[in-house]
Amino acid sequence: MKFRILCLLAIASLFSGSLYAQTEADSPVFLVESITGKIFSDVTNNLEQYTENPEALKDLVRRDLMPLLDINYSARLILGRAGRGLEKEKIEEFATSMSNLLIDRYAKGLLQFSSKIKLQVLPQRGDLNEKLTRVKTRVTLPDGGEAPVDYAFRKTPDGWKAFDVVVEGISYVTTYRNQIMPEVQANGIDSVIERLNTGQLQLAE
Amino acid sequence: MYPDLHKLRIIGCLVVIALLLAGCAGTQSRNTDPVNDPWEGYNRKVFAFNEGMDKVVRPIAVGYDKITPDPVQRGVGNFFRNLDAPVTYVNQVLQGKFKHSISTLGRFLVNSTFGLLGFFDIATQMGIPFYNEDLGQTMANWGYDDSRYLMLPIFGPSTFRDGTGRLADSFYSPVGRVFHGSNRWGLWIMRGIDRRAMYLEQDAELNSAYDPYVLMRDVWMQNRQFQIYDGDPPMLDYDLYLEDDFEEEDPGTTGGQ
Repeated sequence: MKFRILCLLAIASLFSGSLYAQTEADSPVFLVESITGKIFSDVTNNLEQYTENPEALKDLVRRDLMPLLDINYSARLILGRAGRGLEKEKIEEFATSMSNLLIDRYAKGLLQFSSKIKLQVLPQRGDLNEKLTRVKTRVTLPDGGEAPVDYAFRKTPDGWKAFDVVVEGISYVTTYRNQIMPEVQANGIDSVIERLNTGQLQLAE
Repeated sequence: MYPDLHKLRIIGCLVVIALLLAGCAGTQSRNTDPVNDPWEGYNRKVFAFNEGMDKVVRPIAVGYDKITPDPVQRGVGNFFRNLDAPVTYVNQVLQGKFKHSISTLGRFLVNSTFGLLGFFDIATQMGIPFYNEDLGQTMANWGYDDSRYLMLPIFGPSTFRDGTGRLADSFYSPVGRVFHGSNRWGLWIMRGIDRRAMYLEQDAELNSAYDPYVLMRDVWMQNRQFQIYDGDPPMLDYDLYLEDDFEEEDPGTTGGQ
């Protein structure tokens, strides 16, 4: 259940119902709502077109969703000690490989689940501080069950950015950190990037 | 403790074996975050044993998943979930969550009757919230909040606290009261297959993992924490993940030890 949902989370993030319009324009809650809402309506309006041309859908996700994410920060958290001494470019290369895989999954999930999943963004609940916060959402699954999906946000010079997804308490960053950190230390970052690029290492199934 | 004796004896044996083996526990894997898993050596052996068992169990679960229509499968899942309600109820009372316990009681009554022995989850349709509690969560709630990871044979991931709680919960679970003899065994096997079928989709992920043992442990431990906090655990301390790694780039994130 959990891992299937790990996959759905990403997808789910794209299906916002925009329930709380009264939030500030640059708050994380508002960002999740507006961007997912935008992607959602685009996909539902052009479903046939995207089914025929999945690359266009990937471009859409890349264009609209990526600016919301701080993938380099996620990459650094995941690499942890194993990232010590690595060049900045290497870490960015690793981050790109990971995000390409994620975009691929998001896009596939959008096509498959766009009509079956509902996402509700819960209102901010006080644990907002100046640098770090989380946005809580609830995904309604096709079988009627609900899965809580949280997004961790941090404030960057470019505004709030998401860097972790937590599904039923399972953090994407924590989980992959304990897989990737030892693998990088054993085999080197290039080997891990290679495994990500060739699809041998699966994320968020 | 009449009808449960048999099952208890088996669980008891497993726990004793687990404890004996734990004496000769091995080393912890390096290069991951510190996790309360001092019995990792033993746990990995049980994990390997369970993986071996899975060679037999998985094909059965796959077959069950294939031939059973989704609504039926959901009904079976509902049925077993409903049987857990008394355990949840007792532990809600033990934790002083009286409001929740009334809801669990209501669910149990509605689903056991109108829901035809629990196959139909009418209570959810009526908007009665679902909770899940057990003695392990109760003990965590009472302050035993950090227990070592323990891989149970057949039952899978647990902690010392939760394994003990599970054993105690089985004393009063209705499964042993209502079903006797081979019926009970049939029920346990059916439940195992149903559980296994729910996790089929994760197999590819687990198999492609760098360290499947660690993946299962991390996922289970995090989700368990989530259950203990009733779905609202404290936010992770991400700063720790950067500690002594990127100090020069992130002067704001270096904390104490």
